[in-house]
Amino acid sequence: MSLRQSRLSFGPPKPALVASTANSDKNEAKVNKDAGSEPTSKPSEEKSKTPSNDVEMEEEETVRGGSKSKKRERRLVDSDDEDTAQEPTNAAEETKVHASTQEHREEELATTTKKLKLDAASPKKPKTQAIEKISQNPLTTPEVTDDLIEAAEKEEAELQAAQADDIEQAAEAVEIKQAAAKWADMFSRSSDNLEAASWKKGEPVPYAALCQTFELIEATPKRLQILDYLVKFLIQVIKLSPESLLTVIYLSINKLCPEYEGLELGIGESLLLKAIAESTGREMKKIKADYAEIGDLGIVAMNSRSNQPTMFKPKALTIPHVFKTLKDIASLSGNSSQKQKVDKIKVLLVSCRNKEAKFLMRSLEGKLRIGLAERTVVVALAQAIVLSRPDIKKISKDKLQHELEQAADVVKSVYSELPCYDLIVPALLKGDIKGLQEACKLTPGIPLKPMLAHPTKALTDILDRFENIAFTCEYKYDGERAQIHKLDDGSMRIYSRNSENMSAKYPDVMERLVKFAKANTRSFVLDCEAVAWDREQKCILPFQVLSTRKRKDVKEEDIKVQVCIFAFDLLYLNGESLLREPLSKRRELLLDHFNEVDGEFAFAKSMNSTQIEDIQIFLDQSVTDNCEGLMVKTLDGTEASYEPSKRSRNWLKVKKDYLAGVGDSIDLVVIGAYIGKGKRTGVYGGFLLACYDPDREEYQSICKIGTGFSEQDLEDHYKELKEHVIPAPRSYYILGEGNRPDVWFAPEKVWEIKCADLSISPVYKAAIGIVDATKGISLRFPRFIRLREDKSPESATSSEQIAEMYKDQKLNTVKSDMSKGVDMDFDY
Amino acid sequence: MLEARLQTGALLKKLLEAIKELITDANFDCSDNGIALQAMDNSHVALVALLLRHDGFEPYRCDRSLALGVNLLSLSKVLRCAGNDDIITLKADDTADVLSLTFENTDNDRISEYELKLMDIDSEHLGIPDTQYDAVVSMSSAEFMRICKDLQVLSDSVQIDVTKEGVKFAAKGELGSGAVTLKQSANVDKEDDATLIELQQNVSLNFSLKYLVNFTKATPLSTRVTLSMSGEVPLLVEYKMEAGYVRYYLAPKIGEDN
Repeated sequence: MSLRQSRLSFGPPKPALVASTANSDKNEAKVNKDAGSEPTSKPSEEKSKTPSNDVEMEEEETVRGGSKSKKRERRLVDSDDEDTAQEPTNAAEETKVHASTQEHREEELATTTKKLKLDAASPKKPKTQAIEKISQNPLTTPEVTDDLIEAAEKEEAELQAAQADDIEQAAEAVEIKQAAAKWADMFSRSSDNLEAASWKKGEPVPYAALCQTFELIEATPKRLQILDYLVKFLIQVIKLSPESLLTVIYLSINKLCPEYEGLELGIGESLLLKAIAESTGREMKKIKADYAEIGDLGIVAMNSRSNQPTMFKPKALTIPHVFKTLKDIASLSGNSSQKQKVDKIKVLLVSCRNKEAKFLMRSLEGKLRIGLAERTVVVALAQAIVLSRPDIKKISKDKLQHELEQAADVVKSVYSELPCYDLIVPALLKGDIKGLQEACKLTPGIPLKPMLAHPTKALTDILDRFENIAFTCEYKYDGERAQIHKLDDGSMRIYSRNSENMSAKYPDVMERLVKFAKANTRSFVLDCEAVAWDREQKCILPFQVLSTRKRKDVKEEDIKVQVCIFAFDLLYLNGESLLREPLSKRRELLLDHFNEVDGEFAFAKSMNSTQIEDIQIFLDQSVTDNCEGLMVKTLDGTEASYEPSKRSRNWLKVKKDYLAGVGDSIDLVVIGAYIGKGKRTGVYGGFLLACYDPDREEYQSICKIGTGFSEQDLEDHYKELKEHVIPAPRSYYILGEGNRPDVWFAPEKVWEIKCADLSISPVYKAAIGIVDATKGISLRFPRFIRLREDKSPESATSSEQIAEMYKDQKLNTVKSDMSKGVDMDFDY
Repeated sequence: MLEARLQTGALLKKLLEAIKELITDANFDCSDNGIALQAMDNSHVALVALLLRHDGFEPYRCDRSLALGVNLLSLSKVLRCAGNDDIITLKADDTADVLSLTFENTDNDRISEYELKLMDIDSEHLGIPDTQYDAVVSMSSAEFMRICKDLQVLSDSVQIDVTKEGVKFAAKGELGSGAVTLKQSANVDKEDDATLIELQQNVSLNFSLKYLVNFTKATPLSTRVTLSMSGEVPLLVEYKMEAGYVRYYLAPKIGEDN
């Protein structure tokens, strides 16, 4: 039965809403019928329309407005003119508020003047465009939110990513400059289109206003324009409802609190589907079908809702209310929390209008997917703070531009030291940019984002980079980044690379921490690597062993995998931040204030030679000592400071598998695929691969793969592989328990794959019985290189070869019981 | 100041059972007319309106209108502590943030007193227009409950067709279809079981069975139920009591275009 639940509606409750009451509606309908002016075969349409004339009209208007602004935008994009960026905002605001022709004319004037300006400064332009192209490429943008890519992004093609990073950083600098210039220009001309807000001073910010901004942001791939929209909105918030600024920032980056507090959204899709079904009365089957087709719960929710007549219109959502409810939902746990979550989501959903449902759903999922990077939010925040100063119009253009640029730098650097909006936003509102630097500094207890290293392909790259600069080499330990904090009150904490509190994971280390620090340390922040340690052999164990440690509720007596901490940097000591000190100084202080304890705490092994032969020997030595390779760092001068959250060229890493000669490619057969979601809707999002065992004539599953594909690749694969879909796996596919792709393929296509490592896996079956009796081998971080049209599936890499490659790796022999439960592969 | 003494405590217990599945929090609006409650379920699909008139209490006193915001689950938990034959007295001060409940057993030798914390509930009163319905079916409440539960096996929605011959409940789902027809009858012997239809115009409407089944939790309150329907307005399901009523409104399902 194809039915949809309408919402309860009698007639508008308040006279204000009255376009017509339900009764008169009904009468009208009747009159129509009687007069025969409407064909009677259309009652269903009437039904859906009549009860909510007011709502319908409102929606219609927005839709019209939306398409209008889109059309204009397209025109603008076509004309390939970056600086006309603000016009779409205007168009949209026009529909939202009353259109003001005066304002509009002013705007047009502004665009022409600016156009002239930009033409003069055009040398910058080609570069930005090239950069934009790169950042639009789904494989290199950080915004790509598909699970698959996200997981893979971490390590996948680090070289590429890092390059893109670099370019992006450069691009960002250029963009900030441009944006600053534009704002400075606008404000010195005293345009006042900021009063176009949809709410009044002192009122809570309506959720719709944020969604409107999101909608604009989503519609454009241009970062400059995104920044522009966000700054405009933030200025309104700062001027009208400053108390909501913090929540607005959190909702924009889709977080609920600083990362280290660990409260996260990311409600399962089944729960969200349930909430949609219950709040709209649509059949689950239909919603699921929609979801399979559209691939975006947000749009599914929005579509499920938009035909819904409403009359007792729930109150409009406000930002504080939405944020509080989201936080409540995330904090719910325990008995019947699922039902409570669904109930709370339903209450929100039912109040959603227009596009709100779309963004609400995505927020709940934990992925906003509008292409709004946190970096952009930070810059927008800085600029909005500057631009909302009351005396802003008096400042000269050049000075303003300079201030805007500086503000962005200051807020960015403060945020990297103290990633906590709870402290930054109030400080900004209270003390402006200047006050911020004094109020917010690196503080033990609040983890900062670690500094990252740039990968290199060859040792000669190092010499090229560090010509005539003092540098040092350190072992790159294959473990888990650990930031150890000691607070003034004496309490200690360990944070992960992602700022999660890991103190509960390492109770043994916590216990011993006291021993490591000398008496003259009151408080500190150490940057370290936690590595699995074999106490009997006194050697480092591979990362796979470390990952078998439990993450939660670890009791000291149950610990099987011992850990040694290798400290390599000191960021804070006795109340002073050391971030701006050179590495040589930091290292000196580190050595002075801490003690090595055998098998528990050590300083990272380092070497200061600049001879390439010495480095080569040191690298080989590091590999023999079970390290991943080397870290090469600048030692002195301004370039040797600690740059939180940056992948810096002042730190280089040399991994053994980056170096030429390691990591031969493998040819594998595609036997299954996973339906794509998000950006990969409509194509396959990931694939299941197998190697061939010619002796037994069977295909053995080896890994899932989701990285290395261009959009074109994915489309091509989809078209080609569709021909080979089979209803069930062939009897000669040897599969593990977890190998359940959404579709199966006949063995036809062979792909060339590269990977970082091979590892023993309980889930995959490649080379089963050769290396381990019951477990197979899997690939770590596989990435697609190309289609091997010249190879038949039978000539794919054989199980024997896979086993050999595994044995050839310079890994410690992982005892089979150690690798239990280690699954190197990622979920989609 | 509110003071209301209810001779048959079971009534209050049944009332709570009848609404607590649908609504979590609601205001009890007390005035000199009696105690009323109106609330929508959180999907805004159904509305509950109940009224306990002042003459159902002995004595009843309410000097000034009061809105008592109550978590219904908590209230029903407290009411579980009352015996079926207990006399229940509700009391609240004008400014109080608690509702006090006193349960006295029939022998008047056991008195229990509870206080329930009140909450601020932000709710607007929704005006329900008086509607002239095209079809009004009056039938046995137990029969209605049985039909809803039976058909729920097949589908999550039911089509109700009313003609002058009778009323037909039909459901169609994946495992098959089913229908129950009740003929208009003036069964004088068993007044409670009769099906009576007042008809202006034939109607055919679809409703969510989940909600209807939920409404039938009010069955213990009355032997009869009336279903009032018109083309485009919500279904009214009413259970009348001696001094009051429970009314449920449910928006019809409308055709899905995809």
